[in-house]
Amino acid sequence: MTRMALEISDLRLSFEGITETTEVLHGISLSVAPEERVALVGESGSGKSVTARAVLGLLQSQKRVRMSGRIEFEGQDLAAMTSRQRQALRGSRLSMIFQDPVSSLNPVYRIQTQFHEVLKRDDPSISLEDAKRRIRPMLSEVSIAEPDRVLESFPFQLSGGMNQRVMIAMALINEPSLLIADEPGTALDVTVQDQTLRLMRRLVERRRAAVLFISHNLGIVREFSDRIYVIHTGRIVEEGPTDAVFANPGHPYTRALLAAVPRITGGDIPEIDENPSAYEAPRVVHAPAAGVA
Amino acid sequence: MKAVLGLLAGRLAISTLVLAGVSVLIFGIARVIPGNPARIALGPNATKEQVAKLAAELHLDEPIWIQYGHFVRDLSRGELGISLYTNRPVTTDIAQFLPATLELVLIAGILMIGIGLPLGMVAAKYRGGFVDNLVRIVSLLGVSAPSFVWAVILMLLFAFYLPLFPIAGRIDTEFAIEHVTGFLLVDSLIAGEFRAFGNAMWHLFLPAFALSLSGIGQAARLTRANMVETYEKPYIEMARSYGFPAWRIARRYAFKPSLIPSLTIIGLDFAAMLGNAFLVEAIFAWPGLSRYGVAVILRKDLNAIVGTVLIISAAFLIANLIVDLLIALLNPRIRYARSAR
Ligand SMILES: Nc1ncnc2c1ncn2[C@@H]1O[C@H](COP(=O)(O)OP(=O)(O)OP(=O)(O)O)[C@@H](O)[C@H]1O
Ligand SMILES: [Mg+2]
Repeated sequence: MTRMALEISDLRLSFEGITETTEVLHGISLSVAPEERVALVGESGSGKSVTARAVLGLLQSQKRVRMSGRIEFEGQDLAAMTSRQRQALRGSRLSMIFQDPVSSLNPVYRIQTQFHEVLKRDDPSISLEDAKRRIRPMLSEVSIAEPDRVLESFPFQLSGGMNQRVMIAMALINEPSLLIADEPGTALDVTVQDQTLRLMRRLVERRRAAVLFISHNLGIVREFSDRIYVIHTGRIVEEGPTDAVFANPGHPYTRALLAAVPRITGGDIPEIDENPSAYEAPRVVHAPAAGVA
Repeated sequence: MKAVLGLLAGRLAISTLVLAGVSVLIFGIARVIPGNPARIALGPNATKEQVAKLAAELHLDEPIWIQYGHFVRDLSRGELGISLYTNRPVTTDIAQFLPATLELVLIAGILMIGIGLPLGMVAAKYRGGFVDNLVRIVSLLGVSAPSFVWAVILMLLFAFYLPLFPIAGRIDTEFAIEHVTGFLLVDSLIAGEFRAFGNAMWHLFLPAFALSLSGIGQAARLTRANMVETYEKPYIEMARSYGFPAWRIARRYAFKPSLIPSLTIIGLDFAAMLGNAFLVEAIFAWPGLSRYGVAVILRKDLNAIVGTVLIISAAFLIANLIVDLLIALLNPRIRYARSAR
């Protein structure tokens, strides 16, 4: 069996409050093979972002967070690493794209300065000029026609779609082996979102990066991913190759999500019926298609 | 840059208007304070005729708007009249006393920014922790007592019981520094007298520190509050996701954006030190404009009162102008407001 890009087993996570502790992940297990595009789908509050942040190691430093289970990145246990080692992975082997491109870029620095910082993660002594030489072709890969104008700009001077492309380019410039995209571009309008997702897909294919794609938009997921995990209130309720899940949804929650698809072509959060008891049904696992690990 | 210059021109125009308003106001107020300035100046033994003669010389027998007309005419020639207290032109007095005050306030401002901002940043970086609580308590202490109270406490502790610092004055009498700018720190450097420079600094430290304490507290609290808010912004999380070191995130991602909202208040605090300097100067026998201001108010020295208040207002407005300019330079949204596509 090939080494997984990401392997999460039995991840439990809770936030300690003043009086009580809320468990938000109740034993999540999922894996992403190298170069594979995997979607994590679920409604708002189901625990998608928390999972992504745990993988990046952004939650471990918080005092209120209790975590158990195992997260392995390229076969290495994240918990066994020092925080410095985890930090070294971020931004170079492992990177993330966020939901709102405009507010995720630093408002007081030019795009080139922010890009420069990212490139310094891999090469601390790189000069701004050398950095720009590396950035320009990357920007044209995300269809930015005037790279120099964009590099000179502050985020607020660019459109949301432009910022999104910048963020995609930034996340991939250090050639990470795993990209986590947490509802990329949900803050943008649908056509722009669609364009940028196509760009992202092209880029990850070229760079042979694995992707964990988080979304609640099943239309997009169907187009983008090889495999799907459906998450509901902190549990994976169904998993399998995209086609199999769409063709034959086994879990009542997945069926409810799919039934809501026509209504979410506008990119909205699906409104599904409250039916928690039926959603307690056991996990559905579709057999992987032949040839896939 | 064009946007910044436009902003500057606008602020300058407003400041001039404000200054004109202040001059009318203080001109009127100074004249309704009870007591005849001519009588106070000449003393109880002067005859009625002598008093009337001086009053006429000062145009005090004319209607107030005519008096204001005289004042504006003088002002346009760069004069503020003669002080009855020193018998010299008010402009000469101000030129003598203002540098001492400005020196004090500038050093206090440097302490406020140099200590307050880093304290706030450290507290925000360790928010919720021990260091944070310590900084919050200390800065609350700084804010909660007025500067003259700090002046008395610091003087008792570090000049009286522990004679580490001098109790009064700007410099020891053994140093005779040629008067060039009136700023002892500058003049001593011009003269190449480094020992005098050190001595002047030594005299400056306690009064400047006393004056700056509430500003330090305020700056630290403000910086902390704004930074803690900024730490919740998505771009901080993005910076973390890129594995930037925590201190780099603190400085470049949390501190710099939060500086913009803090600066306005810090600028006001700085300008307010000009007023607070009055009592601190009195306590440390600091030969500055504030002491002069108190003396002339008590003697109802009209020209000197109006001149002093105008200068202090002008300094206040200039401080604000500088802050606005700094904000414009720091905030790309203002700097590029008009050239944005
Ligand atoms: N810092 C936190 N403290 C306490 N609870 C939290 C915290 N962060 C997230 N949660 C809780 O964890 C649960 C999962 O949140 P998460 O952000 O992962 O949802 P999500 O699936 O990403 O939803 P969305 O589609 O709205 O982004 C939610 O119930 C949320 O209230
Ligand atoms: Mg989320």
